[in-house]
Amino acid sequence: MDPAAVLELEGIHVRGRGQPRLEGVSLRLRAGERVALLGPSGAGKSTLLAVANGLITPDRGSLRWQGHELARGARARRRQQRRIGTLWQDLRLIEELSVQQNLNAGRLGQWGWPRALLNLLLPLESAACAAVLRRLDLDPALLDQPVAALSGGQRQRVALGRLLRQEPLLLLADEPLASLDPRLAAELLELLLEAGRPPRALLLSLHRPDLLAGFDRVVGLRAGRVQFDRPVAALDAGLLEALYAGAAP
Amino acid sequence: MSARVGTPLWVLLPALALVPLALLLPGLSHGGGWSLVGRFALAALRPSLDPLVLGSALRGLGVTVGMALLGWALSLVLGLVLGALSSRLVWRQCSGRLWPAELIRRLLALPRSIHELLWGLILLQLVGLQPAVAVLAIAIPFGALVARVVSDQLDALPTSSLAALRTGGVAAPAALLTAMGPPLLPQVLSYGGYRLECALRSATLLGVFGLGGLGTELRLTLQSLLFSELWTGLWLLLAAMLLLERLVGWLRLRWTMPPRLSLSPQATEASGRDTASAVGRSGRELLLGAALLLPVLVAVAWSLEVDPRSLLRWQPLPPLPPADWGAVAALPWPTLVGNTLSLTLLAAALAVGVAPLLLLLVRPWPLGRAAVQGLWALGRLWPPPLIALLLLFVLHPGVVTGALALALHNLGVLGRLLLESAEHRGETTEQALLSAGSGPRLALLYGRFSALARPYLAYGAYRADVILRESVVVGLVGATGLGSQLLEALSSFAVDELAALMLVYAALTLLGEDLSDRLRRRLLAG
Repeated sequence: MDPAAVLELEGIHVRGRGQPRLEGVSLRLRAGERVALLGPSGAGKSTLLAVANGLITPDRGSLRWQGHELARGARARRRQQRRIGTLWQDLRLIEELSVQQNLNAGRLGQWGWPRALLNLLLPLESAACAAVLRRLDLDPALLDQPVAALSGGQRQRVALGRLLRQEPLLLLADEPLASLDPRLAAELLELLLEAGRPPRALLLSLHRPDLLAGFDRVVGLRAGRVQFDRPVAALDAGLLEALYAGAAP
Repeated sequence: MSARVGTPLWVLLPALALVPLALLLPGLSHGGGWSLVGRFALAALRPSLDPLVLGSALRGLGVTVGMALLGWALSLVLGLVLGALSSRLVWRQCSGRLWPAELIRRLLALPRSIHELLWGLILLQLVGLQPAVAVLAIAIPFGALVARVVSDQLDALPTSSLAALRTGGVAAPAALLTAMGPPLLPQVLSYGGYRLECALRSATLLGVFGLGGLGTELRLTLQSLLFSELWTGLWLLLAAMLLLERLVGWLRLRWTMPPRLSLSPQATEASGRDTASAVGRSGRELLLGAALLLPVLVAVAWSLEVDPRSLLRWQPLPPLPPADWGAVAALPWPTLVGNTLSLTLLAAALAVGVAPLLLLLVRPWPLGRAAVQGLWALGRLWPPPLIALLLLFVLHPGVVTGALALALHNLGVLGRLLLESAEHRGETTEQALLSAGSGPRLALLYGRFSALARPYLAYGAYRADVILRESVVVGLVGATGLGSQLLEALSSFAVDELAALMLVYAALTLLGEDLSDRLRRRLLAG
């Protein structure tokens, strides 16, 4: 057991229809590490992230968050999950609520009922929410706006803002750049890398190998198996070619 | 578009009606019959399996289902014809005039506003007890309701394909049938499925008031305190109702029809998308279904001995006293109307508010959810007057007792709808909140109720309108306003009083319908 490890996956198997979705995957993320997950479609990237945030329970293998096995009790499990934040590809914002209420949804794990209800009537912690918006290059005047009225780029940032309000130790992101134009993708990636600074760790799945600058490590996944796990600097064109051979990236 | 304060809390707001209820209940309780309620509840586990009881309940269920089926089929036919006749589009295309559509629409408001129970009791006085009475009692108001839905849908559908056919020289009837039929059919069938479920509930209710079938048996066994025999009928009815709901749900999925009285604000958008279901494989299956239904209906009518000709043989009424309009005017109208409205509002608030509250409370426990679903199913199937009679074991008669009976019944209807809709909305948002460590109740409130608030309350507004119509059926527990006065006038042949009460009731229902329509449109417009 590594005391500095934020996430440890050991021999993870997830069954699928026909062939397994993950087969003997082991991966370790230490505090401050920023790791990119590469692989063709169907390689198991989303499944691996879903295992990492507790959404899928693996059929075999062990998962440890900050050195602890998955808690069995619901409350203890929730305490663990508060420290894991996920940026979803479809963002999963609450369309009917304001930007501030959405940002504060990241705090629901910490808040009790009274604060959660009050936030619906009178959005709380305005100063902290405004600070998050400024950090994401958004105008704090947006706090009162409904998220449904925001542009695509603004919505991405609010989703990231909700994650920052959650203050997780492990940041997970499943193809967050997939449907963005190159300028927006570069901006969001920069913000994510910034958010993934120590003591946090960042695990992000990518479909573009040209965006690896800024990451510490890269893990190649193909047909549910880890093909390589090495520093970005040690990655060569041959490995990438083998990873995507015969498949669309 | 704007973010509204407390949106997900809106769904819980009506549950505040629990506060005055909690304050009023101790004063209403006479506490005399708790042992009876206990016996009733225990009997649920020991329904009578005596072949005689079972046979009689099965026969009763057969009659109820038969009456429901015939009444429903007749209401669909009436609704389709009258719906087309009251559609502005049809009249504009066929004659260029709109006033006939408006006139028919207004005339149809009257049969729609009078509850099937009143139709049943009036027909009973006129032609005597026979199965055709229940069939017609269901068909008249249901037909008018279907007609309204058909004409509304028809007038709201896009008309570009109709215009294309018309400019190509196609005659109006053929163009209407070709261009508007296919997109209209899935909507009408989906609504028709929902009405079949309503017809089963109504047929049971009519039975409670003596029009035959299982409802009559349920009332007799309840009043004789034969709870085991009562539960034999109730379990059978529950099985039939769940089977019917499953069948309708399955057909709706198979023929990709829109959900019943959709909670989706994009109902018209869905209608365009679902056009394909009226043709191809689904279209052939629909035709086959209709062809199979016809002999079934004939067989049912034959076995129930429904004779339409007997409806024309009116029986002589007892000599009626001369009308005394002075006495009618002296009725305590403000109290009657006030009580009816209080009963409706209390019942609607309780039904609308308690369903999401219960869902929220049991969220962490899968077993709790199953228990709540079971409770809702029983509430749906148990006709409100029977709930009211049961409540009388422990409560004094009055507005609150009537409201509670209606609330419990409508809670079953609303709860099921809420659960179904919650399954399709906000799932991913709730999952995102859960995986960030929020508790299951908060994730449900923020994640799903935010998206559901408006459409659910819009449906609640429609339900309040239904409850106003239904308030007459709990009239038998007394002092519930217009409902109890109406039942009294009916049983004493006070025709003058009856006519005045029915007119006031109809006016109130139409006013309520208009208000609920406006509220619904506002909620869905966002």
